[in-house]
Amino acid sequence: MSFSVNVPEPLDRSTALRLAFLATLSILLLGALLARLWFLQVLAGDRFAELADSNRLRTVVSQAPRGHILAADGSELVTNRAALALTADRQALVDDDGRPRDERAARTVRRLATLLDVDEATLLERIGDVRYSPFRPVPIAVDVDPEAVLTVRQNQELFVGISAETIPVRDYPEGDLAAHLVGYLGQISREELGEPAYADYRGGDLVGRGGLEQAYEGELRGRGGQEVYVVNRRGSVIDVQSRREARPGLDLVTWLDLDVQRAVESALAEGIVASREIVRDDGRNLPSTAGSAIVLDARTGGVVAMASYPSYDPTEFVGGVSTTYWSFVNDPAQGQPLNNRPIAGQYPPGSVYKIVTGAAMYEAGLITPATRIGCPGSYTVADVTFRNWNPANEGPMDLATALKRSCDTYFYDLAYRQWQVEQREETPDEVLQRVSRSFGLGGRLGIDLPGERAGVVPGREWRREFWLRYRDGYCEQAERAEPGSFEAELLGDLCRFGGIWRGGDAINMSIGQGDVLVTPLQMAAAYQAIANDGVLLRPTVGRELRDVDGTLVRTIPAEELSRVELTDPQLDSIRRGLERTVMEPGGTAYGAFFGFPFDTVPVAGKTGTAERDPRVPYAWFAAYAPADDPRYVVAVSVEEGGGGSQTAAPIARRILEHLFDVGAPDAGGFVPGPEILD
Amino acid sequence: MSSVGLGTARTPRGGLRGRIVAGLELLAPLRAVDPLVVGATFGLVAIGMVAIYSSKLATLTAQGLPTTTFLTRQLIAGGVGLVGLVAATVFDYRRLRAFIPVGYLGTLLLLAAVLTPLGTSVRGSQRWISLLGFQVQPSELMKIALLLALAMLFNETEGVPGLGRTGVAVLLALVPLGLVFAQPDLGTSLVYLWLTGIVLLVSGVRVRYLLLLAGIGVATFVLGLRTELIRDYQLQRLTVFLGADAPDADFAGALFQTRQSMIAIGSGGTYGRGLFEGTQTALAYVPDNHTDFIFTVVGEELGFVGAATVIALFALLLWRAVAIASQAVDRDAMIIAAGVAGILLMQVFVNVGMTVGIMPVTGLPLPFLSYGGTSLIIWMTMVGLLLNVHQRRR
Repeated sequence: MSFSVNVPEPLDRSTALRLAFLATLSILLLGALLARLWFLQVLAGDRFAELADSNRLRTVVSQAPRGHILAADGSELVTNRAALALTADRQALVDDDGRPRDERAARTVRRLATLLDVDEATLLERIGDVRYSPFRPVPIAVDVDPEAVLTVRQNQELFVGISAETIPVRDYPEGDLAAHLVGYLGQISREELGEPAYADYRGGDLVGRGGLEQAYEGELRGRGGQEVYVVNRRGSVIDVQSRREARPGLDLVTWLDLDVQRAVESALAEGIVASREIVRDDGRNLPSTAGSAIVLDARTGGVVAMASYPSYDPTEFVGGVSTTYWSFVNDPAQGQPLNNRPIAGQYPPGSVYKIVTGAAMYEAGLITPATRIGCPGSYTVADVTFRNWNPANEGPMDLATALKRSCDTYFYDLAYRQWQVEQREETPDEVLQRVSRSFGLGGRLGIDLPGERAGVVPGREWRREFWLRYRDGYCEQAERAEPGSFEAELLGDLCRFGGIWRGGDAINMSIGQGDVLVTPLQMAAAYQAIANDGVLLRPTVGRELRDVDGTLVRTIPAEELSRVELTDPQLDSIRRGLERTVMEPGGTAYGAFFGFPFDTVPVAGKTGTAERDPRVPYAWFAAYAPADDPRYVVAVSVEEGGGGSQTAAPIARRILEHLFDVGAPDAGGFVPGPEILD
Repeated sequence: MSSVGLGTARTPRGGLRGRIVAGLELLAPLRAVDPLVVGATFGLVAIGMVAIYSSKLATLTAQGLPTTTFLTRQLIAGGVGLVGLVAATVFDYRRLRAFIPVGYLGTLLLLAAVLTPLGTSVRGSQRWISLLGFQVQPSELMKIALLLALAMLFNETEGVPGLGRTGVAVLLALVPLGLVFAQPDLGTSLVYLWLTGIVLLVSGVRVRYLLLLAGIGVATFVLGLRTELIRDYQLQRLTVFLGADAPDADFAGALFQTRQSMIAIGSGGTYGRGLFEGTQTALAYVPDNHTDFIFTVVGEELGFVGAATVIALFALLLWRAVAIASQAVDRDAMIIAAGVAGILLMQVFVNVGMTVGIMPVTGLPLPFLSYGGTSLIIWMTMVGLLLNVHQRRR
């Protein structure tokens, strides 16, 4: 038996075949495993390594305290404070569609709504705010009543997923002072999060909106801290992978003088409100809807004060602005309080522009300081009559006197002659336009505030482009107008010849009317150039940046934008004209400044009354003082405020009195000036 | 050649020298061991030990327990396994035949006992029983018992096995299969099925019978679905892995383990993250990574190089097993070797396939590597059977 076992038998063919089948199957299956491993580990290994990292690493960010905004003397305008806030753990409360996750979550939301006195839908909206990372608690109520916080803390089982914590928020020790300059903070939007400029931001981060908060976002923000933890499958922290300390934002020191800012804001507001008492010839009160006031440092371009009326309260924006307040600050019926008029308001300048025309006529060589030109009651050219504000003939006068008297016809004549000269040139050298630009008009000055407008300096090119853009509209309207009517004639004229820069356009522009548009800041800068011997400086609010210890990090230098080409006698004549406007009997601002102690503080300035049919004229006043050694430039404009001498000049006077601490102590209020509609 | 040394007694010599020679004579079979089989086995067991140590290193450290807790237990099992290996090698399979029926029936009894209150339940599955103070898994033991029983059944046949014998073979498989399925342990049930199929294949059962049986198997499976004999979660586990690459897959739920396993292996890259450096391993992202998912530790820490080495060692074993089968003198020896190859192939493919997301999660351990004493002992014993057959080859 054992013998037969030991005899080798040849393996039958069938078995060999079947074993070969088993071997083939082995090769195939193990080959499949190797192929899969090759794919997972060699080809897709990097992706899986990333997944393994995202598995085990959890990033916790901490906010850096935002830098403060300080006045020139170091007093605080914007700081931070700790606010009591309730935050929600989104994942514990709502599902992906923003609905309560379960019955317990629904009850929690209901209780919270009652506690905070908001409706459930609003609350759910806040909790489900997709701008927040799901791993980060969502603040649902800031500056919560401490009693509500106590309720939540003591009844944690009724408010699962809700926690109370203190979070840093913006604090405004001066309330709504300089609201437009400061700006406010808002949550970063989803669109912004996708932009490269906000690469460093995460959902729920606050970002500067408007004002210095926006302009200096990069400096004020600092850099958030970040801790990367290693966690296991159950989410418990095993180790700290990396830690980056939060770097607080830099403090911004501005040129602002809070005392002056307060005075400017109240002078503007009180002046505007008081001027509404003034009754016009048609029996109606001055509307005086809104206004701006600016104080610049004449030698540096620093913004000492800047006010926009009506204003708003930035504290309303802390922890998220309410819809009601948001519509209020944007409501045209309320004068759009959010609108920062000193830089975003564009108005015709009226007679304050005449310093530019005067400088241009010197540049064009049409006059010398001694040249005298007539000042008739009206000026007629090609059957069109242009009137002076004063119907009486004032006789020939030099530029200084023409400024003092704000004589329109004086400038009409010069502007028309210059226009004729330019018409004869092959490529006209538009002197008034060129000089306007050297005064900073027709382009953004580049102030360190967002939302600055450029204004308009019209001319031949501008007129042509404008016409090309609107010609079709003019022509269409002309066809529809009643044939033979004045309207049809005007529109037909615009349709055919609207692209031509005519003598009338030059005449209107010479007194700051027609199509010229400026911002109040541009006008302040133009007077700053005159006060500063022709050197135009870029207006800036920020002065320097300091770190949290107060160490100087960076100075924001004064920057020369341009030089107005005027000889000393020419500049002197303009400055003399401005001084006489204010300080000499017969000057358009003499009445408004009657009784001002010129012995102590000589003042130079110019009134303006810009027509903007069918509205009530816009009042302007621009000045600098002391006239012999200028320190401050003041510019005031009031929308539909009537004559510059009437409304704007008295406001500027109040500001100057405060700046130099002069004037009768009892003369606190607004005293309207005489109605001169120059 | 070796059969000469086995069967023929040599002239005994006197003295010490003679006794030494006689002792060496006893060890003669060991000299004829297949070095590749032994090398591959020890290589796999060693890699398994290191991987088990690594998989529990962080957890045990965190719990303040000795880091070698699991390793020690597995080493003890390895020792027992070595005894099993040597015994299975030395004890001539021809003399083993007499014990097979008793062994099969005994194991069947143990399997039945598991389902009684004597058995231990872990996570809803009743798989273990306490035997002489040790927790053993009779379903693992049954792999050998069934293989030997089938080998014995077909050894008697001359030529092609008939329908009757095939029927008996199916019956031999179905009884333990039913008991294991009731635990419930779908994975091991399928191993028995596969094993029987392989044995029928190599025993020369007609292809048409094989196809018939396969048809019956499919019909039964469909019927099982209809009658809910196969539970929902079992079916779900069988199909859910198909969605592992879908972007919206439910990684928190059924796919969590597969997904984490793939991340662990994939993140190993070509050369691995380094021994004891795997984050998925250390932070316990892959559940059961010392038992069924031990391959993830190899894949993550030793990379493609390490994973491919393990596959290569398995390939070596399979090649040797098939080669040994083809050189076997007896039919039952051939069936044993082929059967070992068959189970090995299935368990490696199903287990590794599960960790790389191409097979469902069925709960089959990886031979030699997975933590678990019974499995290791059984597999080392099966290697012993291979060596046994090899020594008595043509």
